[in-house]
Amino acid sequence: MPAETSSTTDVVMPQLGVSVVEGTVIRWLKQPGDHVDADEPICEVDTDKIVTDIPSPTTGTLTEILVNQGTTVEVGTVLARITSGSAGLRAGPVGSGRAHTGLAAGARASSPPPARSAEAADAGASHAPSPSMPVAGAYHSPVVQRLADERGVDLTGVVGTGRSGRVRKQDVLAAARASEDRPLHTESPYRPDGEARGQLSRMRRAIGAHMKRSLDTAATCTTWMEADMSRVEAARRGAKASSLLGVTPLPIVARAAMDALAEHPALNATLEGERYTRHDAVHLGVAVSLGEDGLIVPVIRDAHTLTVEQLGIAIRELARRARKQQLTPDEVTGGTFTVTNPGQFGSLMATPVINQPQVAILDLEAVVKRAIVIEDDDGNDVIEIRPQTILGLSWDHRALDGAQAAQFLGALRRRLESWNGRS
Amino acid sequence: MPTMTYLEAISDALREQLRADERVFVMGEDVSAFGGAFKVTDGFVEEFGEQRVIDTPLAEAAIIGTAVGAAVVGMRPVCEMQFADFVACGFDQLVNVAGKAHYRFGLAVPIVVRLPSGGGFSGGPFHSQNPEAWFMHAPGIKVLAPSIAEDAKGLLTAAIRDPNPVVFLEHKHLYRRVKGEVPPGIYETPMTARVAREGSDLTVIAYGAMVHAALEATEQLDASVEVLDLRSLVPLDEAAILASVAKTSKVLIVDEANETCAAGAQVAALIAERAFEQLDGPIRRVATPDVPIPFSPPLEQAVLPSVDRIRDACRDLLDY
Repeated sequence: MPAETSSTTDVVMPQLGVSVVEGTVIRWLKQPGDHVDADEPICEVDTDKIVTDIPSPTTGTLTEILVNQGTTVEVGTVLARITSGSAGLRAGPVGSGRAHTGLAAGARASSPPPARSAEAADAGASHAPSPSMPVAGAYHSPVVQRLADERGVDLTGVVGTGRSGRVRKQDVLAAARASEDRPLHTESPYRPDGEARGQLSRMRRAIGAHMKRSLDTAATCTTWMEADMSRVEAARRGAKASSLLGVTPLPIVARAAMDALAEHPALNATLEGERYTRHDAVHLGVAVSLGEDGLIVPVIRDAHTLTVEQLGIAIRELARRARKQQLTPDEVTGGTFTVTNPGQFGSLMATPVINQPQVAILDLEAVVKRAIVIEDDDGNDVIEIRPQTILGLSWDHRALDGAQAAQFLGALRRRLESWNGRS
Repeated sequence: MPTMTYLEAISDALREQLRADERVFVMGEDVSAFGGAFKVTDGFVEEFGEQRVIDTPLAEAAIIGTAVGAAVVGMRPVCEMQFADFVACGFDQLVNVAGKAHYRFGLAVPIVVRLPSGGGFSGGPFHSQNPEAWFMHAPGIKVLAPSIAEDAKGLLTAAIRDPNPVVFLEHKHLYRRVKGEVPPGIYETPMTARVAREGSDLTVIAYGAMVHAALEATEQLDASVEVLDLRSLVPLDEAAILASVAKTSKVLIVDEANETCAAGAQVAALIAERAFEQLDGPIRRVATPDVPIPFSPPLEQAVLPSVDRIRDACRDLLDY
């Protein structure tokens, strides 16, 4: 029971971005009983792919952790409680078994607590919670962690049978067995040689969930169109010496795509359930590869107002911050259209997955020199060497039809092939 | 197959090696005319004569030093320390001379030093010690500690045939209490661990008399407990230890020796370093506290690892 001189402050899941409705506690940096200073990080929260430290709202003792690691809760949910003042201890319901209220050093030196409180405090110092109450931020033994990793067992859901509810080796093995679906066939024990790399990272799991959700949700079609990039390449060559352009044609293609979107606004839209919304502004998602770590799609707000040079700067800056993991949750949400640019690695065609709830994604692949047949000024067919690319557009057949996709790509091609600094 | 006591098995190994290899001889305090303080060499002088069964002065440095010299010129001496505790007097000859000779001079020193060790019979501080860890810490010396009659014979045979100095710990408490079938004829027991009982929930690692305490302590437990008998401390069978821990994930190590830097401490370190990701509980040890062994029977029983202490530690780990 809190002494009269103490006060308890709730730590709640903050609104980490305007569009963020929930977050996942991925790590507790403090344990019950730990002293925390105001603004000191006490846990890490993952929203989408962004990890944010949650600062303590006050100075005191962390007395209760209410949300386990790995648990996703809505904004506003109480994550933990911090007790300030002389007591520094919230004993909790005596005898309830929830003895994980830790004991801060010197806590018992405060005004004489009732005897039962002292007992609870002692219990808190030496015992973890009962089996029915999973231990918040509990340590797991090395073998338990390893087996959970190897067999994909989420330890937060495992009821421990060890002392004070500790999850033991046999508990993980039982959980792993229980989670195995009855197989339709017996798998061969043969495994190709390979180095086991353990469980997927959070980033990979997030990407996987997004991509599967998109494919399960959208009626994804992909349309391709070939474009002559001579003018774009010439512009890049001309710009190289003086500006930020030149690394990839992406800023130019993005600029041209946004002009084509103005012509075909049906593609700058979102579809959520049966609600289809066209957007006036283009908030442009740009896929940024993080190498082995994965992929993230930061969003350039009001990209339609930016020049090619400004787009180039914005893309470069977002990519730099993405790779340093400095993006904020708001910077990866709210896009209305996305471009992806794997062509820098030499690929020719792809079928990109739509970034939900958008309705289209433009794919820019490699620009390669090809011999193509064109008509010269005299109307004769001639073979010319031209830098060609294949523009790919994945679009959602629920929101659009193939004609609109082709018209958009045609408008984009026209702008790229006649590029003169502005589309 | 004949049944022998642990002591008879040791005698049998000695006798067979004396018969088989003329380079082998035994020496020690009262080993000849009296047949040894524990009668291990009873009747030997009658069969092999005073040249090969030699009574020595009460001077362990002289016994081991003589053995080193004999070994260097091609003999296979087997020295008996009347009690393991007395080996301290021969420490320099054993650790600095015998143990380093191969490194320093390229000379093999094939000696065996038999150490009747261990407590449990009110022998007090000079007649009850388990000094094996002293020699584990000294490079160049092998350290064997059998727990059953069959291994006692096979390991002593292997020790006599080994080109290195070997200290052979024979537990006095087991001499006449432990009996078992012993193969006739000459055989060697490998210097590896032995699974004394298979199990899957917990591994108890022990050697010497503590193997029997561990088996008794875990017999009635409602769990599948593996008991690993190390048999050889140097070389230490790391593979067997790690394999057992990988299977059970929980481990208790029992030493009759004083706790600090005992053989079990080395085993614990090995597991911590090499089997960390296999562990589902703390590595626990039961050993004699760092005190001299008392004469008083109740005090001695209080300090030596008892069956009850081992059982309590097992229960604690099984519940963990």
